[in-house]
Amino acid sequence: MNPLLYPIAVPILLGLICLIIPRRAKFVHEIIALIGSAMTFGLLIWIFTLKPFEFLMDGSIILRVDQLSGFILLASGLFGFLITLYSFKFMKEANRSTVYYGSILWTLGAACGALMANHLVVLLVFWGFLGITLYLLILTGGNLAADAAKKTLIIIGGSDALMLLSIAFIYSVTSSFDISTMQLSAGNPLIILAFILLAVGAFAKAGAMPMHTWIPDVAETAPIPVTAYLPAALDKLLGIYLLGRMCLYMFEMSRLMNLFLMIVGSVTIIAAVMMALIQHDMRRLLAYHAVSQVGYMILGMGTGSPVGIAGGIFHMLNHSIYKSCLFLSGGSVQHRTGTTDLDRLGGLGRMMPITFSSFLIAAFAISGIPPFNGFVSKWMIYQGLVELGQVGDKLWIIWLVAAMFGSGLTLASFMKLTHSVFLGVPSQSVESKKIKEVGIGMTVPMVVLALLCVIFGIFAYSVPLKNFILPAVGNVSYLGIWDPGLATVMILVGLVVGLFIYYLMGNVKIGREANSFIGGEHLPTETRVTGTGFYNTIREFGLFRYLYRWAEAKWFDIYDQLYQLAMNVGRFFGKAHVGIFTVYMVWVLVGLTLLFVFLMGRW
Amino acid sequence: MNPILVYIICFPFTAIVGMLVSWIDRKVTARLQWRVGPPLFQPLYDFVKLLGKETIIPKGSSKITFLLAPLFGLVAATFVSMLVWTAILWPEKSFGGDLIVVLYFLMIPSLAVIIGGFASRNPIASLGASREMKLMLADELPFLLAVFVAVIKAGGAIRLGQLIAYQQTHGWVFLSASGICAIIVAIITMQAKLTLVPFDIPEAETELMSGVFVEYSGPPLAIFKLTRMMMLFTLPMVVVVVFLGGMHFQGISILWSILKYVVLLVLIILIRNTNPRLRIDQAVRFLWGPVTILGVAAVVLAFLEW
Repeated sequence: MNPLLYPIAVPILLGLICLIIPRRAKFVHEIIALIGSAMTFGLLIWIFTLKPFEFLMDGSIILRVDQLSGFILLASGLFGFLITLYSFKFMKEANRSTVYYGSILWTLGAACGALMANHLVVLLVFWGFLGITLYLLILTGGNLAADAAKKTLIIIGGSDALMLLSIAFIYSVTSSFDISTMQLSAGNPLIILAFILLAVGAFAKAGAMPMHTWIPDVAETAPIPVTAYLPAALDKLLGIYLLGRMCLYMFEMSRLMNLFLMIVGSVTIIAAVMMALIQHDMRRLLAYHAVSQVGYMILGMGTGSPVGIAGGIFHMLNHSIYKSCLFLSGGSVQHRTGTTDLDRLGGLGRMMPITFSSFLIAAFAISGIPPFNGFVSKWMIYQGLVELGQVGDKLWIIWLVAAMFGSGLTLASFMKLTHSVFLGVPSQSVESKKIKEVGIGMTVPMVVLALLCVIFGIFAYSVPLKNFILPAVGNVSYLGIWDPGLATVMILVGLVVGLFIYYLMGNVKIGREANSFIGGEHLPTETRVTGTGFYNTIREFGLFRYLYRWAEAKWFDIYDQLYQLAMNVGRFFGKAHVGIFTVYMVWVLVGLTLLFVFLMGRW
Repeated sequence: MNPILVYIICFPFTAIVGMLVSWIDRKVTARLQWRVGPPLFQPLYDFVKLLGKETIIPKGSSKITFLLAPLFGLVAATFVSMLVWTAILWPEKSFGGDLIVVLYFLMIPSLAVIIGGFASRNPIASLGASREMKLMLADELPFLLAVFVAVIKAGGAIRLGQLIAYQQTHGWVFLSASGICAIIVAIITMQAKLTLVPFDIPEAETELMSGVFVEYSGPPLAIFKLTRMMMLFTLPMVVVVVFLGGMHFQGISILWSILKYVVLLVLIILIRNTNPRLRIDQAVRFLWGPVTILGVAAVVLAFLEW
């Protein structure tokens, strides 16, 4: 058997076994899932060393691993393994382990298939299969998740249909399904339409506006490992992989197509992060960031300059790392406290130091604080935008300011989250429980991901860029300078000197603990600042007041708007259903006559 | 020229000049209020005194976060200062980071204050820190617009050395319609970044009892104070590099160079002594309203090459 078939076949077969084994044998499910994901990860490492590699059937290349898909496969395998490990403890209470572990494995297999596919129809088949496993995984959240699952299925399924249409267009122009040899020039309007439709499929998967509305709903109701696995990690990898495949290889990008991408990117960054600022639920807040960060990736792709595209792809990899880390630490908090409501958390940093540290590292990474990984990729995207200005484009400043300001807003909403969950005064419900750190099965995935954030930041050039990103994009030239190694050494030197001063003064040891000073008063324990209201000033600021009100009334939710439209159309035609038989007969007669006239006219 | 060596020299240099500058600030303020003002070494005395005091840690707070936060702010201030000075002294071989890196590192001292405030387990500090965060958001937008005016003028140069070199051949960015608009925006946002009156909202003594710093004492407080003094020196230096052609140290131009900084410092002190404190919503409205509009105007003017 061809090596490329293994990572698809192994998890799908093991997933099938998982579904057959009865529900009571939960332990067996866990073992099978762990072995399956570990094996897939191993196989993907092997395949990574083999690339470029192809699988032929009837003379056409069906599956293919190249520089771009190679490292994304590797990342998918890593996430599959870590999430499975994390799920053992987290999903202990859930009694749907059959479907859960089966779908986790199936998702992994289908994701490998979609990433390796070199045939548009094969790609679409795996893509559609991923939509179904996503639906099943969301449903493990119980009855509450049913609405979100339905919404997801409709949005993802609908965009799959658009992709099918796009593939039909492409076939009608080129009469080929082969991705690797495709060269579509932007001269043909049908190709531009095909590009937009295919991009909509990628947007829906990755969660760019306006196809993003399923992500916050899913995050709020589905189990956290599911959110960390699919919307935060794999779906981002897949969606942006498809977009990268389109921009880098399949389509010759025209200025208009790039402009389309950059508008979608900037709007996504700003609008989603503004929504994140005002959320009251940890999972929903994180989900809006999962949307907002997609904007950076699309913006990077849209610059069309090598450094911008490399930055966009690098950001995709970084995002999947820190975002799953954030969701997993959120999951640990939920596991211990039983809630994700920001009003009922607080002060956990002391009780859960490992979770807090990995959360803080990931939060800094997503906010682009140097020297973590998120900064490097954002920095590369910014350079792509500046380069755009050097060749005479005037609009680059808008995209650049939107992206950099969006980064500040991201930092702001993560500061709110840090305060409400880990710092600040603990809520009564937290204080009444004896909360301690989560077990090793849950800390290991978080710590591994947090370490990756640090390594990919400090050794950005020598590890991720050299091995993963640049082979896929080609060499890039940097306009600016950023030397993360040097900066890190300097930061460490500063910290060591500072700690030495603390130590020299002997104050850490003799330092005295005292109650906080609140004007000399003793506050009752229920009086505390929760952090949820931090940005009410901005919420009430000018035009934002209306925008927020409209957003909360779901004016910008494409699903809701289409739903309303469908209902109204239905209501209109429903008026014809009067319940009188003779009226129906008249309708039938009118219809037949029209049909007859139409057919006659054609003849 | 070893980068680490430059960094290590940069710290005491920035700290000493920062103390000197903060003495000037206090002295001028005192004279404006018909007081005598402190002696030259007062900032140093304050710093040493704080180092010797005991550290009080609020009960039930995250101790490590509480103690580490000030250090990160200090390190970032030093790093920015190093980037700026290497660009001034050796414009052609700048290392370490570019303008984007500087913009990001400038956020870290505020970030350190915010995290320190959050870790204090005190509602007053939490409120102060949330104000600091909002203020940071408010000043970031116009500040970015103002700084990118220089980048537009220099044809997309984002290395500090290139910006200085451009201004040597084409004249200062400041000397144009767009440059004047941009530097006005930069000076206003600089005041907000330094959280000086009228933007001293996060620590507002009369309402929040110095807000974010309420629980700090001893060496950690000393380090926060030192960071602020260093920023009072470093931030105007960034503006000098971006808009006023950097500094040059040959012959008479030494005087010119120092004058650039002094003018900015005098402006800061004057603004600080002639304005009442704004409320946070007023500050946000002011910075996102007229100041941002002025920033946009500066960008448009820069594209029109005025």
